[in-house]
Amino acid sequence: MDFYQGKVLRLDLSTSTSVVEPLNMEWAERYIGGKGLLLRYLWDEVPPQVDPWAPENPVILMTGPFAGTNVSTSSRLVVGCKSPQTGILNDSYVGGSFAPEMKFAGYDVIIIIGESPEPVVVTIKDDVVSFVPAKPKYWGMRTSEIEQALRDDFDPDAKTLSIGPAGENEILWACLSTDQFHKAGRGGHGALWGHKKLKAVAIRGTGSVSVGDARAFLADLLRIHSEYVLTEDNLWANEEGTPILAQVMSDAGVMPTRNWSSGTFDEVENINSDAFLKIRTRNRACYQCAIGCRQFHEIDGVTGEGPEYETIALCGGNCGIGDISALMKFNELCDQLGLDTISTGSVVGLAMDLTERGIKDFGMRFGETEGYLKAPGLLAAREGLGADLALGVRALAAKYGVPELAMEVKNMELPGYDPRGAFGMSLGYATSDRGGCHMRTYPIADEVVAGTVAPDTLDGKALKIVWGNPAEGMIGENFSAVKFAGIWCDFWAITPEQIAQLLKHVWKHEFSEGEVFRIGERIWNLGRLFNLREGVEPDTIPQKLYSEEGAHTTGASAGRFIGAETFEKALREFYQIRGWDENGVPSEAKLAEVGVDVRL
Amino acid sequence: MPHVLISSKKCTGCHMCELACSAYHEGAYRPSVARLYSECNPTTGAIRGHTCLQLACAKCQKVCPTGAIVTKEITLTIPGDFPAKEKVGEVVKGYVLVVDEDLCTNCGDCYEVCPTNVIHEHPDRHVAFKCDLCDGDPQCIAFCQNPHVLAVDLKIDKADRELQPAEAPA
Repeated sequence: MDFYQGKVLRLDLSTSTSVVEPLNMEWAERYIGGKGLLLRYLWDEVPPQVDPWAPENPVILMTGPFAGTNVSTSSRLVVGCKSPQTGILNDSYVGGSFAPEMKFAGYDVIIIIGESPEPVVVTIKDDVVSFVPAKPKYWGMRTSEIEQALRDDFDPDAKTLSIGPAGENEILWACLSTDQFHKAGRGGHGALWGHKKLKAVAIRGTGSVSVGDARAFLADLLRIHSEYVLTEDNLWANEEGTPILAQVMSDAGVMPTRNWSSGTFDEVENINSDAFLKIRTRNRACYQCAIGCRQFHEIDGVTGEGPEYETIALCGGNCGIGDISALMKFNELCDQLGLDTISTGSVVGLAMDLTERGIKDFGMRFGETEGYLKAPGLLAAREGLGADLALGVRALAAKYGVPELAMEVKNMELPGYDPRGAFGMSLGYATSDRGGCHMRTYPIADEVVAGTVAPDTLDGKALKIVWGNPAEGMIGENFSAVKFAGIWCDFWAITPEQIAQLLKHVWKHEFSEGEVFRIGERIWNLGRLFNLREGVEPDTIPQKLYSEEGAHTTGASAGRFIGAETFEKALREFYQIRGWDENGVPSEAKLAEVGVDVRL
Repeated sequence: MPHVLISSKKCTGCHMCELACSAYHEGAYRPSVARLYSECNPTTGAIRGHTCLQLACAKCQKVCPTGAIVTKEITLTIPGDFPAKEKVGEVVKGYVLVVDEDLCTNCGDCYEVCPTNVIHEHPDRHVAFKCDLCDGDPQCIAFCQNPHVLAVDLKIDKADRELQPAEAPA
């Protein structure tokens, strides 16, 4: 089969054994790859109601059909498991070059089960799999060190997915790193790897990915790239990148500031895209991406890619930090330790808030860099007050009797969009299939970036959350699901019609726009079933973000509130549009209509 | 003489050129047998391009004991349809060095002397393989598409010269 390698590599860490199995092509046709195929495999591989820390909880590395080809932005890998942070599905995406290398090694999927008795590194060179002791050399290494060590020791062209010290210490939002600056950031995959004593997987592939008539495919891709990829709609990512959002979000009252106490950051001009352009050194790209959004910056001896907007928002504004040098340093520490910056910035912001309020002195205050720069190291090592930080915002706020200060959904800390400035995101956060996440739907595109829809109302938003408006860049849940099955990056504002053109190369038949959307809806419903099976918390957001009492008193969004009734009404409307009952359970009619092949 | 160079300053390390190169020549994507490559350090961001200098170098041809590296005349049209790209459609006549597989004995002498490390034993055919500028339709240049970072080109600038071995003969 062209595009797919047709093979699954299963690694058992408990027994240090591996076996190759055929890819389920029936599932591939139904769910494409990436998110869709991942969820289908998770449904079968995760024992129902399993403890996320149990050896039986698998880690699945999933590619998309276009990884290892010239299809721009499709080098992304999705990593999946039942999250130890949220207890529900966790699909975490990362660019770089790991997924193509998996394909060249001959695998569409790698399933990792079990738990190693001793710390281990797994190396894969085509069909040769080795389990290498990670002690004494590799365990404890920072992310750049482990990558270089495996290039030196295993293969100079090895691509590595690894954890840093934070993962080894099972910090709930520890991430996976590849190509140093690329992170499968959210939901605690790094923690699960640490618990399984898996330091890294290094892979090298020398095989090929077939695509049928390669020269015809190349010719079509040149057209697709010129017409759809290298356009003004996408090149902003190369030119300014996500730091451009900092000023926009602050001006709109959407940027989390000083532990969500305002949506406007008074020092944003020090960390907006103009400030980052001044310290820009070069652009880098993920593998097989023509856009090249990864910006290298350099200041005061710190060189690296990023930070992206979410880091600027949570580790900058939310901590009251307007010092670009300190922010770069903090980002580097998180990168090296293997910490998700959204959750880290969120918990540090909360610790600052607790200090400022006199509830508990964490030695860190809004805007002060000394305690701030110590936080990632203490956290990753669970050292001193770092053990408190490692609780995450929900448990930390509860411990000190102020649960209302924790900004999270389903125990995942919220990213950089305050719904009090743009109401649509309230519903997006509440209904995201992995907890507090901005990547499943992005009403902000209409409400703030384009400004085509009023931000201070929920009227009509439920429909947009479900279906989006992809022709104009606003992504809904169904469309994001099929886009992440591809796996295309959000920085290509791809349309259903363009997806259909590419899928035709794979499946050799036409796809209508409706069919593309239906695949997405199928995937979203499968995810809902998985979460219901595992036991998911109610779909809601922190009360502060919708109640009148929680309204901001400063900044551009001051005085705005959604209101409890309005929020609940919109949620009911959302369930209705989805064909789910009042408890959010998909109806049999809906599951049959969209072609989900499993049932609760 | 036309040959491809990768600018270390402009290249983003997307590897599109290697992918297209392998798909064009191998009929499937297999960058481990690409005829050019970009060496990227993810931590430092440093990039070094490796491309065949053709007749500007010709060390492989000089060292070949069987005369298997032959000079071939080509007519090259600079590909790409993105308007910002310079020189698109320009026709260049010149010569490239290609491997006559009937004469190649896979002795490996050329692999040893290549200053840019772009002539190797083909893993399936067990003869030397190298860049032939896609017989006049170079896919590496076609797929270096971003108008802001066009890095794979026939143009030689100072930065590129510094990248290549100083002893390369004219």
